[in-house]
Amino acid sequence: MEYMLLVPVFFPILAGIVLLMKKEYQKRSSMLLYVGAVLLITGIFAVYGIFRITEGVTLFHLTKAMPVYFKLDTLGRYFSFLFTIVWILAGFFSFEYMKHEEKEKRYFGFYLIVFGILLGLDFSGNLITMYLFYEFMTLASMPLVLHTQTKEAVMAGLRYLFFSFAGAYMALFGVYFICRYGTTLEFTAGGVISAAVLQENRTLFLVVSMFLLIGFGVKAGMFPLHAWLPCAHPVAPGPASAVLSGIIVKSGVLAMIRVVYQMIGAEFIWGTWVQTVWMSLTLITIFMGSMLAFREPVLKKRLAYSTVSQLSYILFGLSVLNAEAATGALLHVAVHAFIKVALFLCAAAIIYQTGCKRVEDLKGIGKGMPVTLWCYTIVSLGLIGIPPTSGFVSKWSLAVGSLETGIPVFSWLGPVVLLVSALLTAGYLLPITMQGFFPGEGYDASRFEGKEPPYLMLAPLLILAALTVLLGLMPNGLTDRLFEFVVQAMRIV
Amino acid sequence: MGEHLLANYAEVVAVALFGIGFTNLLLQKNMIKKIIGLNIMDTAVYLFLAEKGYIEGHIAPIVVDGNLNPDTYINPVPSGLVLTGIVVSVSVTALMLSLTIRLYRRYHTLDLDEITMRLKKEGL
Amino acid sequence: MEIIRNFPCLSILLAMFSAIISSALKGKWAKRLNTFVVTTVGILSAATLYLTYTTKESYVYVMGHFPAPFGNEIRFGSLEAGMALFFCIIMLFSLNGGRKKIKLEIDPGKENLYYIMVDLLLSSLLALVYTNDLFTAYVFVEINTIAACGLIMIMESGRAIEAATRYMIMSLLGSGLFLIGLCMLYDMTGHLLMSYIQISVREIAGNGTYMIPLLVTIALMVVGLAIKSALFPFHAWLPDAYGYSTVSSAAMLSSLVSKGYIFLLIKIIYRVIGFEIFVNSRIINVLFVFGLAGMIMGSTSAIRENDIRRMISYSSVAQIGYIYMGFGLGTTAGMVASVFHILSHAATKSLLFVSGVGLTDVSGEKTQFIELTGAAYRNTAAGLAFTVGSLSMVGIPLFSGFISKLLFSQAAVQSNVKMLPALIVLAVSTVLNAIYFMKTVIRIYTPIKSKYPSVSIKENQLYALTLLCFIVLNVLLGMCSQPITDWIRQGLAVLA
Repeated sequence: MEYMLLVPVFFPILAGIVLLMKKEYQKRSSMLLYVGAVLLITGIFAVYGIFRITEGVTLFHLTKAMPVYFKLDTLGRYFSFLFTIVWILAGFFSFEYMKHEEKEKRYFGFYLIVFGILLGLDFSGNLITMYLFYEFMTLASMPLVLHTQTKEAVMAGLRYLFFSFAGAYMALFGVYFICRYGTTLEFTAGGVISAAVLQENRTLFLVVSMFLLIGFGVKAGMFPLHAWLPCAHPVAPGPASAVLSGIIVKSGVLAMIRVVYQMIGAEFIWGTWVQTVWMSLTLITIFMGSMLAFREPVLKKRLAYSTVSQLSYILFGLSVLNAEAATGALLHVAVHAFIKVALFLCAAAIIYQTGCKRVEDLKGIGKGMPVTLWCYTIVSLGLIGIPPTSGFVSKWSLAVGSLETGIPVFSWLGPVVLLVSALLTAGYLLPITMQGFFPGEGYDASRFEGKEPPYLMLAPLLILAALTVLLGLMPNGLTDRLFEFVVQAMRIV
Repeated sequence: MGEHLLANYAEVVAVALFGIGFTNLLLQKNMIKKIIGLNIMDTAVYLFLAEKGYIEGHIAPIVVDGNLNPDTYINPVPSGLVLTGIVVSVSVTALMLSLTIRLYRRYHTLDLDEITMRLKKEGL
Repeated sequence: MEIIRNFPCLSILLAMFSAIISSALKGKWAKRLNTFVVTTVGILSAATLYLTYTTKESYVYVMGHFPAPFGNEIRFGSLEAGMALFFCIIMLFSLNGGRKKIKLEIDPGKENLYYIMVDLLLSSLLALVYTNDLFTAYVFVEINTIAACGLIMIMESGRAIEAATRYMIMSLLGSGLFLIGLCMLYDMTGHLLMSYIQISVREIAGNGTYMIPLLVTIALMVVGLAIKSALFPFHAWLPDAYGYSTVSSAAMLSSLVSKGYIFLLIKIIYRVIGFEIFVNSRIINVLFVFGLAGMIMGSTSAIRENDIRRMISYSSVAQIGYIYMGFGLGTTAGMVASVFHILSHAATKSLLFVSGVGLTDVSGEKTQFIELTGAAYRNTAAGLAFTVGSLSMVGIPLFSGFISKLLFSQAAVQSNVKMLPALIVLAVSTVLNAIYFMKTVIRIYTPIKSKYPSVSIKENQLYALTLLCFIVLNVLLGMCSQPITDWIRQGLAVLA
């Protein structure tokens, strides 16, 4: 029964490997059929596993003390459900988009493999399993970044790889200590290291926590190791950059939650220099990301910088160690996933239909692609945080939670930075809408006539836009459960 | 210190010889000189061993006239070791010499550094 | 079961006599005899391993008529038997992987000479692993050196001969130091059998009278073996010797010959000097520092290298640094990690050499990186195998390299003083490893329209099968590490 949990992890990985090994398909449609079927079947099994299976399952033992162990908790369920929806939507989007790229087979093969690995990451029930899938995710997502194989893409891919490895090994440094001093490697509410041991080796564990934060922070684009993200994400094919930016970076967030709250324990970090440094780094990242996005003329790069900034919203919410803020942060994971994927898919649709990459070329695009631009506008409003979209709810919780903590300076500096960054967000997203619909007198927008993308591309966009709004209208069911998780499993009040 | 050195003069000589041989093998450029260094080094070890096995006034451990009293003979084990060592060193020396011959036929020099330089220049 | 006790001696003799017989055989038959002998010795070792592992004891086999402490003897526990089995497996795979190249690169008349050298190498390795007599160990160290030298120079190119000469010189320096060290030890203790020396060494250390000579002796022997196993900074001979010999030789040199010396060193540490005395001497700190330096310097040299064979060779320097770093930690956990790394590195490095040659073959025999662009598409099996080897070297979970890094770090965090340098250098060297191996992997997977023809798996099935075996071995080490570390722990316990 609980072995069904392994199906959504290993089925897409195997299917992806089979696809990579196979000869080139005669007909493109049969390959799409295969990929679509695998995506849907995986989705069904994943949803089944997420809602039905509560038992854990051990696959095998790496060493005696290190089983490869899968178990779902609320966090794992939430992340994996979210990832499944978005991954499948972006997958169907790529059916159309990949028409104008080469080597489709390789793309879809790795797309499926990464899907399985991501689910494995979410399902993992202990630190070693998570680390294992974390490393594999870096490797398997590499070919997505490298896909075009231009010099730029290869350099970006290398940069992605080295930053990720450097981060992963910094984190591994910390993992060694947790293995040594922890009572278990399973994720446990409030940490696995006894308070006495923590107090005895206080300085050591503070340093270790910092290493873990910075190491896993690489994936989440946290300053100072964020430089790979704005290079690596835009060079990938459209849908791939969408999932890289919307989904894969979230694994860094997941890993940080796991180690900080469920391995070391939030109580230990509270009020130490580690927390201060963590908060400062996130605030710096938020502001810097927004500023860089504001100045960036290439649309996809602008969105990538925006990812840097938005991810640190989440991390800031986690770093203040407050239940309200953490709930907001967790909610923002979903919000940002929907919105950023939608934004990248819009950019991909525009590139696919018109070939325009720079923002100034997009004047008057609303005349030709109104539905796309409307979706873009709705999700942009969500990212800025205007009610009734979901972005408002998450940011509100973040700000309120931060103010509640009463940490000197940061409790009010945080909301201020959030506000400034929201203004900047509006500044870099909305001009496209305005100039798109109102290019000004005498501007000839006829080259965009009839460029609306086909339904296979529009449908995912519309669904994501609808989800953004829906989540904003009815967030309570989700936030309640997340709040419960935050209090019970992350042990913060 | 001084009298210790004097009392163990054979060991001192052996170690000094070992050092000389070692340095020659390591630092000489000429292959033949290197091999000579190798042989000095090995001989030093044999000297050391032979000195260790020798007992003042005793004779070589060869049974003559049915004398089976062990107190009259020197320790035979080091001698055995020296014999084995000689075999090893002869074979190694032969191998080194054959390598030297091959190098000399190809490059007409015995200077190992020069050969290396030339190989680098050829880019092979 | 009694008969199994004869197997170690039998396997040494078998390998040695096959070398003698091979000198009268044609190349093809010498090859067959060699394969047969390696397989048989592997099976014999497996039986020995079974016996020693189940009884958890070590056995003594007396050679000749003289009983201890005068005679010569063989002593084997589970660690020795397991090592012998592992060496046989690696040797078989390395030879099979490079079979085609051996045929191409070696003069047909000399093929049987090559297999004589391999047989000799096997017998000397087995003797090094099994013997309980220090002087026998020295003799077989020399035989091992001569056989290895033969394996390098069999190519007969100027480069190979020069590399062999340099290898010979460094090896002779190392064995000279080892020899004088062992003579001094004999002088002090009056024994040549390892177990008896240890009793005397304990007495000496207990009295504290001959501490300085003892320390010098230990240092001489350790340095001698360190030179022979290419510990930084004595590694100058290594890249040429591995880079310009035929691929099977390179694979065997890096994964068997240097590992044989390291195993002898382990035996000396445990059985001759005694682990506590070794740990209390300051030599382990020196080994620790040299190990760390090797880990960094080997990797930086590898990054600068523009030739794939030499790059893999330099990476060996780094990996040997890991092993000595484990010795330097001075704990049983560190030793276990080092022994595991011997296995892991042997499996991975020979895989890299063998797959590397597959890549260079489809790039016009050129080893420069620029020529290798896209080679993985031209030879898919080699490309895949090289990737697996690289991932293992970088330390990705599921492969053997990860486990050895894990063991090293677990050992390191037990020590207070050495923890921080060890962990930092581990992390740095891992990132450095990632730089040059991932660079290569991306290079071979970069598609270009190449002027070189591609090779399909069907054309050389033996090669592909060998690579598959290597990959399976690697993943096996990475996934079932627990029984292996248990075995190492048990083996080290009965080694002393």
